[in-house]
Amino acid sequence: MKRLFAVALGVLTAIGGFVDIGDMVTNAVVGSRFGMSLAWVVVVGVIGICVFANMSGRVAAVSGRATFEIIRERLGSRAGLANLGASFLINLMTMAAEIGGIALVLQLITGIGPLLWVPLAAFGVWIVVWRAKFSHLENATGMLGLSLIVFVVAVIMLGPDWGALARQALVPAVPSDEAPATYWYYAIALFGAAMTPYEVFFFSSGAVEEGWRRRDLGQARLNVLVGFPLGGFLSIAIAASAAIVLLPQAIDVTSLSQVALPVVQAGGTIAFCFLIVGMLAAFFGAALETTLSSGYTIAQYFGWSWGKFRAPAAASRFHVVMIVGLLAAIGILLTGVDPILVTEYSVVFSAVALPLTYIPILIVANDRDYMGRDVNGPVANAFGLVYLVIILVASIAAIPLMIVTGAGA
Amino acid sequence: MLLSDILGSAAFDGDGNRLGAVVDARFRLEGRTSPAQARMVALIISPRSTSSYLGYERKAASRPVILDRLLRWMHRGSYLVNWEDVAHIELHRVVLRPGFERRDAALEE
Repeated sequence: MKRLFAVALGVLTAIGGFVDIGDMVTNAVVGSRFGMSLAWVVVVGVIGICVFANMSGRVAAVSGRATFEIIRERLGSRAGLANLGASFLINLMTMAAEIGGIALVLQLITGIGPLLWVPLAAFGVWIVVWRAKFSHLENATGMLGLSLIVFVVAVIMLGPDWGALARQALVPAVPSDEAPATYWYYAIALFGAAMTPYEVFFFSSGAVEEGWRRRDLGQARLNVLVGFPLGGFLSIAIAASAAIVLLPQAIDVTSLSQVALPVVQAGGTIAFCFLIVGMLAAFFGAALETTLSSGYTIAQYFGWSWGKFRAPAAASRFHVVMIVGLLAAIGILLTGVDPILVTEYSVVFSAVALPLTYIPILIVANDRDYMGRDVNGPVANAFGLVYLVIILVASIAAIPLMIVTGAGA
Repeated sequence: MLLSDILGSAAFDGDGNRLGAVVDARFRLEGRTSPAQARMVALIISPRSTSSYLGYERKAASRPVILDRLLRWMHRGSYLVNWEDVAHIELHRVVLRPGFERRDAALEE
C-alpha cells in the first residue's frame, strides 16, 4: 500500500511538474494560430524528454553523478565552461519567465501590475529554496499543478467538433494563412518547450538529492514514462482549448488572460479558480526547478558542494549562486520586458541549447566505466540517436527561422 | 603548472613545424591510491582537431557506433608522445624533442 502510494505520488508529481509557463504559452499560441496541426510536435518532444530524463536519471543513480558533473568531465574545462555559460544564461531566461509568470497570475487575481509582484515572487522562491525540504517542494507544487487538468475539463465542456480536431492533429497541414517557415518556427518552439534542458539538470540532480540507487530505477522509470506523457496530454489540451475558442475568433495570445479565456468560457468562476491554483503551482514549481538548476549547473561545473540535502552553510556557494541568479532574474523583469515575450524567446533558445546537454548524457550512458551493466541497451541507443538528429536539426534551424519569420510574427 | 595550461596548446617538432594540438594527457597511478598523486606520462596530439575525444580514445568505448566513428574520424592521425619526448613547454606551445616517437593513442582497458 505504501509502495502504491509512493508510485502514485511520483507519477502525479511528474504530471503536475511537466507543464511550465513555456509549455503553457507556446501551446496556447500554437493552438490559437495553427489549431491542432502541431500536436504531433508535443508527442515527439514528450518521447524525447522521456528518453533523456530516463537516461540522465539512470546515470545519476548508478554513478552518483549529476548531468553537469558529466558535462565538465567529458568536455574538459574550456568547452565545459562555454557549455556552462550558454546553459546558465538560457536557464536564467527560463527562470525570469517563470517568475514573471507568477507575477502575471497574481496580476490576474488582484489587478495590480506585475512589476510590483516580481520581487515578492522571487522572494517566495528564495525562501522555499532556502528552507523547504527537497521532497516537500517537489510534491506540493506537483500535486497542486494537477489543477491544470481544468484544461482537459474545459475542452470537454466546450463540446468541440472532435472529428475536426482529430483530423487537424492526425493529418497535419500548414494553415493557409500561415507561412511554412512560421509553422516550423513554432514546431521548434514547442519542441524546445517540451525538452527544456533544466528538466534534466533538475531530474538528475534530484536523483542525487534523493539518494537513488539501482533499485530505485524502476520507480523512476515509471514516474517518467507515465507522468511525462500525461503532462504532454495536458499540453495538448491547452492547445486544443485555444484552437476551439481563440482560433475561430482570430484572437492572438499575447497575455495570460487569453490563455485563460477558453477555460473561463467553459467553466466560469470555478474553473478559473482551478486554473489560477494550477498556474501558480506550475510556474512556482518551475521557478524552483530553474533556480535550483542555476545552482546545480555552476556548482557541479566548479566542483563545489551542492544540494538541498546539505544545510545551506555546508553548500554556501551553491546558495549564493541561486541568490545571484534570482537577483538577475528580477533585474531582467524590472526592465519592464513582457514575461510572455521572455517565455517565447526562452523556449526557442532552449531548443538551440539542446545538444549541449543531451549529447554528453547519451555518451556517458554508453560508458561502461561509469555504468557497468546498466549501459544503454540497443533500444535506448536507437531512440537516443534518432533524437540526436532531431535535436541537432532543431538547434541549427532555430535561429535562422527566428530571423526569417521575425520571431514568428 | 595546471593541466589546462597545456591542453589546447599547439604542438611543434624540433624544427618548428606545427604538428597539431594537445588534446589530452595520460596519467599513471604506479601503485599510488589517490588520483591526485598520479604522474603525467604522455600527451595526445591531434593533427586535425582541438576538441576533446569525449572518452572515445578508449578501445572499450564504441557505442553509439555513429558517435564513435565520428569522433575517431575527427581525431584521425592522432598519436601519443611520451613525456620524455617533450623538450620544453611555453605559453600555448609544446615543443617536442628531435626524433620523438609517435605511439598509438588508443587507450587499452
